[in-house]
Amino acid sequence: MSDEESKPLHELLAEASINLDASATSRDDAIRQAGAGLIAAGSVDPAYVDAMIDRENSVSTFMGEGVAIPHGTLAAKDSVKSDALSMVRFPAGVDWDGNDVRLAFGIAAKGNGHIALLSQLASILMDPEKAEALRNATTTARVYELLTPDPEDE
Amino acid sequence: MATKTVTVASSVGLHARPASLFAQAAAKVGVPVTLTSAAGKSVNAASILGVLSLGIGHGEEVTLSAEGDGAEAALDSLADVLNTDLDKE
Repeated sequence: MSDEESKPLHELLAEASINLDASATSRDDAIRQAGAGLIAAGSVDPAYVDAMIDRENSVSTFMGEGVAIPHGTLAAKDSVKSDALSMVRFPAGVDWDGNDVRLAFGIAAKGNGHIALLSQLASILMDPEKAEALRNATTTARVYELLTPDPEDE
Repeated sequence: MATKTVTVASSVGLHARPASLFAQAAAKVGVPVTLTSAAGKSVNAASILGVLSLGIGHGEEVTLSAEGDGAEAALDSLADVLNTDLDKE
């Protein structure tokens, strides 16, 4: 594991940063909505959202399982005030450079915090049943339940 | 079984951009490649989620392994990817 411990995912995801019934006209619209969730949490400056789109233009953050994890460039670290996660669910899907995205997790992290954060998120999404349950989640309570690590997996 | 141990050169570790480029490269080498962290956890190297789940930071060692025709060449090309600071490009 990395040298810096990250907080558990469910502690990084504020209830105000979750939108379970969104629609987006484009990939960039979806990224801006994920960015708005980070701004709502007081985690990033608005400039960070532009960096999220820059990053996406450089390399797609589509991860498979209908999930994308947009986040800023290294140069935008100064726009990050605290580590945070946002979650936007698109029940009708978004065309993400040809991939069908149902969930976008916006990610902001200071220093090396992103490594542990991404590792935690990827570990959950690697389980196809959990990924499907997250894509279908309609309550924040269900989201928190799914993002809380199973003690038996530790 | 061919194996190769490599130190991750990316200054930010093996996360989104480097992890994507690495997994894309692993998907193209023609043989299934396994990526194992220093902590001993193994994943399919072609899975972005798998690679990310290992949480590998800059300077950490990882082991690549593959079997079959072209395994050595596949590992050599993927080791080159890991030896490059992908975030600098």
